[in-house]
Amino acid sequence: MISSPYPAGTVRALLATDQVSPPTRAALEARLLAPAYEPQFFDAATYELLRMVAARLFPQPDRPEPIELAPALDQRLLTGGSDGWRYDVLPPDREAYRLGLGGIRESGRVMFGAPFEHLTDLQQDVVLQAVQNETAPGPIWETLSAGRFFEELLAELTETYYAHPLAQEEIGYAGLADLPGWTHIGLNEKEAREPEEAK
Amino acid sequence: MPEEETLEEGVLNPVKPEIQDPLLQSLLADTPLAETPIVPAPAPLEIPLPAETVDCIVIGTGAGGAPLLARLAMAGLKVVALEAGPWHDPKKDFATDEKAQEFLFWNDERLSAGKDPVAFGKNNSGTGVGGSTLHYTAYTPRPQPADLHLHRDFGVGVDWPFGYEELEPYFEELEQFLGISGPTPYPWGPSRRKGYPLAPLPLNGAAQLMQRGCETLGIRTSPAANAALSARYYQEGVGWREACTNRGFCQAGCTTGAKASMDVTFLPLAAAHGADIRPGCYVTEIERDEAGKVTGVVYQQNGQEQRLRCRHLFLCAGAIETPRLLLLNELALSSGHVGRNFMSHTAIQVFGTFSEAVRPFKGIPGALISEETHRAKDADFAGGYLLQSIGIMPVTFAGQVARGRGFWGPQLRSYMQQYNHVAGINILGDCLPHADNFLELAEEKDARGFAKPRVHFTNHDNEIRMTNHAEKLMRRIWEAAGATDIWAFPRSAHIIGTARMGLSGDDAVVDTNGKAFDVPNLYICDNSVFPSALGVNPALTIMALALRTADKFLENQK
Repeated sequence: MISSPYPAGTVRALLATDQVSPPTRAALEARLLAPAYEPQFFDAATYELLRMVAARLFPQPDRPEPIELAPALDQRLLTGGSDGWRYDVLPPDREAYRLGLGGIRESGRVMFGAPFEHLTDLQQDVVLQAVQNETAPGPIWETLSAGRFFEELLAELTETYYAHPLAQEEIGYAGLADLPGWTHIGLNEKEAREPEEAK
Repeated sequence: MPEEETLEEGVLNPVKPEIQDPLLQSLLADTPLAETPIVPAPAPLEIPLPAETVDCIVIGTGAGGAPLLARLAMAGLKVVALEAGPWHDPKKDFATDEKAQEFLFWNDERLSAGKDPVAFGKNNSGTGVGGSTLHYTAYTPRPQPADLHLHRDFGVGVDWPFGYEELEPYFEELEQFLGISGPTPYPWGPSRRKGYPLAPLPLNGAAQLMQRGCETLGIRTSPAANAALSARYYQEGVGWREACTNRGFCQAGCTTGAKASMDVTFLPLAAAHGADIRPGCYVTEIERDEAGKVTGVVYQQNGQEQRLRCRHLFLCAGAIETPRLLLLNELALSSGHVGRNFMSHTAIQVFGTFSEAVRPFKGIPGALISEETHRAKDADFAGGYLLQSIGIMPVTFAGQVARGRGFWGPQLRSYMQQYNHVAGINILGDCLPHADNFLELAEEKDARGFAKPRVHFTNHDNEIRMTNHAEKLMRRIWEAAGATDIWAFPRSAHIIGTARMGLSGDDAVVDTNGKAFDVPNLYICDNSVFPSALGVNPALTIMALALRTADKFLENQK
């Protein structure tokens, strides 16, 4: 279902060459070699809930070690980072995430009689789908726009996932090999340093 | 990255704005003015007094500020540019990585309201010496003459206070100076005295597919004009700039100097003629004398407040920060139009999956153009749009798939595995000013303690009809080119119109020369002065206006 048409190991092989510029290599290796992370913004229970939500939005049964998506969000909220805008209907990000994750926990309880963390994968998916569809039950969603919150959460985790070198390898993206530039840029044109796609 | 720790905490119940101005205080308190004499607040003693008064301060170093700065410096004036962001060395500092390059975007939070909230940050606003040109795609078509008189032709919006002929010489000058690569002759618009100095950049996969689809439907296309070098080019004040290497990363910073961002073109030219460009300077106050004349600015640099005096001030901070500074300083507000008439181009994208490998990260992103839809025969709307093929980077694309299609779980990962087979077409279309699309100051404060901007935006009938027309056409083009799984991502691009130019101070903020109607020595020069949005990307026109504003200013100083 999720097996990639591109071979494994190509990104690490490229990073060892001079076809990746030093600033690019530094950015990618920081993610590839990220040390274990302890939450600093979220409390332990909420952080664990966030990890479980991330695991449903990005299930990674194909990876021995999944790409961790929660650390980047915890770090950003801790340092107060912003991407330059937010939906006016949402409260400031820290509030929105605390409320929204609480809302997910609460909806799980209303829909299946147990907190989100104790539900089966399938039940968790049903809860998340209800949040996305703005049909999830619970008082928090009366004050927080479920659809916009879900969109923000999903977009942020998605961008974190596809910024990871192994996720870029999964989709056959070779743009990190930024030296010396590209000459084969047309349809069906490929350079030697780009991965071969399985037919 | 802004530090917003203390201020964002618990802003669920926003505090009242702290009103500094005694006049406004008294108005709000409904107290008679006589009881609260208007005395300018004494300057805090800790701000060092400047040693000198410069001729001109230019706030912002993007497409508005940089060309103007160069022109003023070349005329021998003592000019200082204040840029909020840092001065980068692209070769050493820029990674080919979308996340790592986020420092190029204006990331101070803006609140997006209305039915179609506009995305800011990477979508439109930059910081650093060079402004948003550090991350523009380099797409530089000229507007067509009719773009400047929508009201005359359709009875909607407002016309520019002058015609295309006023800007034409500047377009030509810019194309030659920046080394724009494009087709000669250009297939649309009035005939030109000079062709583009360089041949077009090569077509990438998405461009070839759009060409194929358009050919089948009988829609004329052409390689587009882009401000990136298809061959080595000599840049006055800089030296040789090398040709583009097709790295495809224009929107997250060019490492080679092939893209004509301001930091490799007008700013070195300005510096060579004595302009003082100061990075890391965030302007907070614009000071005036009793007569209402600007006397200087206060800015923050490395945590210190600094004051600089000037004879003339040029505000070139873009269509959000420019009106925000005016509103915060209660300056040039007599027309009532500061912050109003906010426009953003209709810019829906249509993606499709192809059996061929596209690898959409390579080559100049907007390689192919069609202006056949500038005034489409079957249009049921005013104005028009252009069509462009688009390359797209993986993180940006994935984010759009998440927001636009709502995919997650295995569905999202499976779809993203087709990334190398996806190609997109984009439009860039006119947008009308509407009363309910505007910028205001919110109660919520940023990390510096200043009110955040809130921007209201809703597409109206004209924008909706144009978008529907374009989506139908782009779907047909992709079907003709052999695409499957075609989907549309509605969006708005660019920020325009919040301090517009006009003939009268009753309905415009600046006159035809870019000078504020109600402040004798204040000029505005960026996308905020556009009276209408134009059916093209704005960068080239902003630069043309910048050169024109400088020339008009210099003429009037004689």
